[in-house]
Amino acid sequence: MRLRAHPVAGALALAVVGFLWVPILAVAVNSINQNSLMISWGGATAHWYARALDDPNVRSGLTTTIEIALGSTLLSLVIAVSGALWWRRASARARAVYDATVYARIILPEVVFATALFFLFLKTHFPLGVAAIIIGHSVWNSAYAAVIIQARLVGLDPAIEEAAADLGATPWRAFRRVTFAALLPAIIAGGLLTFTFSFDDVVTSYFLGGNSATPLPLVLFGMIRFRITPEINAIGVMVMLFTVTLMGVAVAVFALAGSAGRGRRAALAEFYGR
Amino acid sequence: MSGESSVRLSGVEKRFGELVAVRSLDLDIAAGEFFSIIGPSGCGKTTTLRMIAGFERPTRGTVEIAGREVTGLPPYRRPVNTVFQSYALFPHLDVFENVAFGLREAHVPRAELRRRAAAAIGLARLGGRERARPSQLSGGQQQRVALARALVNRPEVLLLDEPLGALDLKLRKEMQGQLKDLQREVGITFVYVTHDQEEAFSMSDRVAVMDHGQLEQVGRPEDVYRRPMTPFVASFVGLANQLAGRITGPAPGGRYQVDLDHLGRRRAHGPPGLAAGTPVSVVVRPEDLRLTPAADTQAGPAAATVVDAAFLGAHRTVRLDAGALGQLVAIGQGQSAVAPDDKVVLSWADDDAWAVPAAAEDEAAENGAAEGEAR
Repeated sequence: MRLRAHPVAGALALAVVGFLWVPILAVAVNSINQNSLMISWGGATAHWYARALDDPNVRSGLTTTIEIALGSTLLSLVIAVSGALWWRRASARARAVYDATVYARIILPEVVFATALFFLFLKTHFPLGVAAIIIGHSVWNSAYAAVIIQARLVGLDPAIEEAAADLGATPWRAFRRVTFAALLPAIIAGGLLTFTFSFDDVVTSYFLGGNSATPLPLVLFGMIRFRITPEINAIGVMVMLFTVTLMGVAVAVFALAGSAGRGRRAALAEFYGR
Repeated sequence: MSGESSVRLSGVEKRFGELVAVRSLDLDIAAGEFFSIIGPSGCGKTTTLRMIAGFERPTRGTVEIAGREVTGLPPYRRPVNTVFQSYALFPHLDVFENVAFGLREAHVPRAELRRRAAAAIGLARLGGRERARPSQLSGGQQQRVALARALVNRPEVLLLDEPLGALDLKLRKEMQGQLKDLQREVGITFVYVTHDQEEAFSMSDRVAVMDHGQLEQVGRPEDVYRRPMTPFVASFVGLANQLAGRITGPAPGGRYQVDLDHLGRRRAHGPPGLAAGTPVSVVVRPEDLRLTPAADTQAGPAAATVVDAAFLGAHRTVRLDAGALGQLVAIGQGQSAVAPDDKVVLSWADDDAWAVPAAAEDEAAENGAAEGEAR
């Protein structure tokens, strides 16, 4: 109805939706296409999924990718959280310097960091591979996580830690029950983002993987150069489903945590039992 | 517990680098007392409260709570709880969990925890809002959560740092009454910090007045108002007309003979031990100043011109230009007859005049490194 009301805007919107979804739809359709050349529809099959899951290159690529994504997420969150906590008590000048380093890691081209780290690792004889990629991803991932976590931290009343101490919490308990707990939504959001970024990274992984580590995007890249098969489409669909599921789980966890109903307690008349 | 004393500060001093926030403070707060610390911002009242809570460690001196020395103890090991100016509610926890926070830290058994938290929530009139997040509550409700969260732990002392500062006037007045009732009900010692003298007076058993890190006076609100010990207290606590003069000697009834500039010999009460020749400031409260219409051009030294008469409902405030005596203020119901530019003659009863040593003002104003005068 609104499309009819604004024909130009409606056409544009349709075009955008089309450009976004048609390729994805094509991937999904071809992933179950019996026609291995994907020239025409040859009937539905789950064959390519089975083949993708059986492919040792794909399996090891996936394992490597998850290892890297988990490692980089963890490292990034530790860097971002400790940085944010330091930031809160830092002087204005120190904050400005810190912020500049964070934004530099977001703005500067990934390929710059990748080549720089590549040369650094060569000079220092640091082995290229999973660990090197984790470090490489964490360069920018920690910056994204820092931005998200700091945004939440700024909104927190600094007095809540004192309030926790006042109510009997030791510094560690106060951190765990108040500061960390209050930051948790931001930490989870930052974690999901960094995991996803790491999951589909090509540039940094390509430079720092050496011969020993080939994450899934590089496996796909290699396969495409050889030949485009329905198997690649099947992998794409699975990756997509995995990411969407991850997001769905996160949203569900949030919703549950928010409305954890433990029943309402009736206010008692007496206050002091002693 | 050691009998009467709930909080005792002995020779407490707090320095932040060069700045002396609190100097040589001795304070003894009795158990069950509603005690307020008032003063302008930067006078050291909040620092004092934070030293009792344990957020600041005194540079010198000791802090005792319920007869036990706690000077070196961190906040989480002290039997006190605080209501913060910003409330400092935990944004990720609902009302119930905010209130139950201290009980969980103290490992109170589950059934008792529920009972006590529910009771505190009921006491704060928050029943039905247990599952609300702080962000979903009004300012007044948040304030009551902060109160319930502190009281539920049954502290020896409850510390309140300008707890009503963020509320609007009407709610503020309402909460003042409720706080006083609450304190009477639970019998806990309240130490209340505010810059609002009226608020402190309306609730407190005793009031301490601070200025520039210095304790100026401690006493019942009426005593502090009627018998200020320093010109600062006289001017900070309510409105005061201050007339310069000099003690000339004792007078019957524990009073003094005072030679007031421009006015001559008068009598006034004052703190004991004022020697002849001491420069004083004689305080006459606005409600004690009587105005009589001047007959024609009677231009005595106590003559004044009405500058402005403001009608404030229950009473009327009259601003006066008293020539060499400066600007004065009179408040009362009987002042209704005067209008701007009226000539009036000022008078007051000797019993309503109170002499304060004027020299102390210079000391307080300079406020160097020197330790303060007697209180």
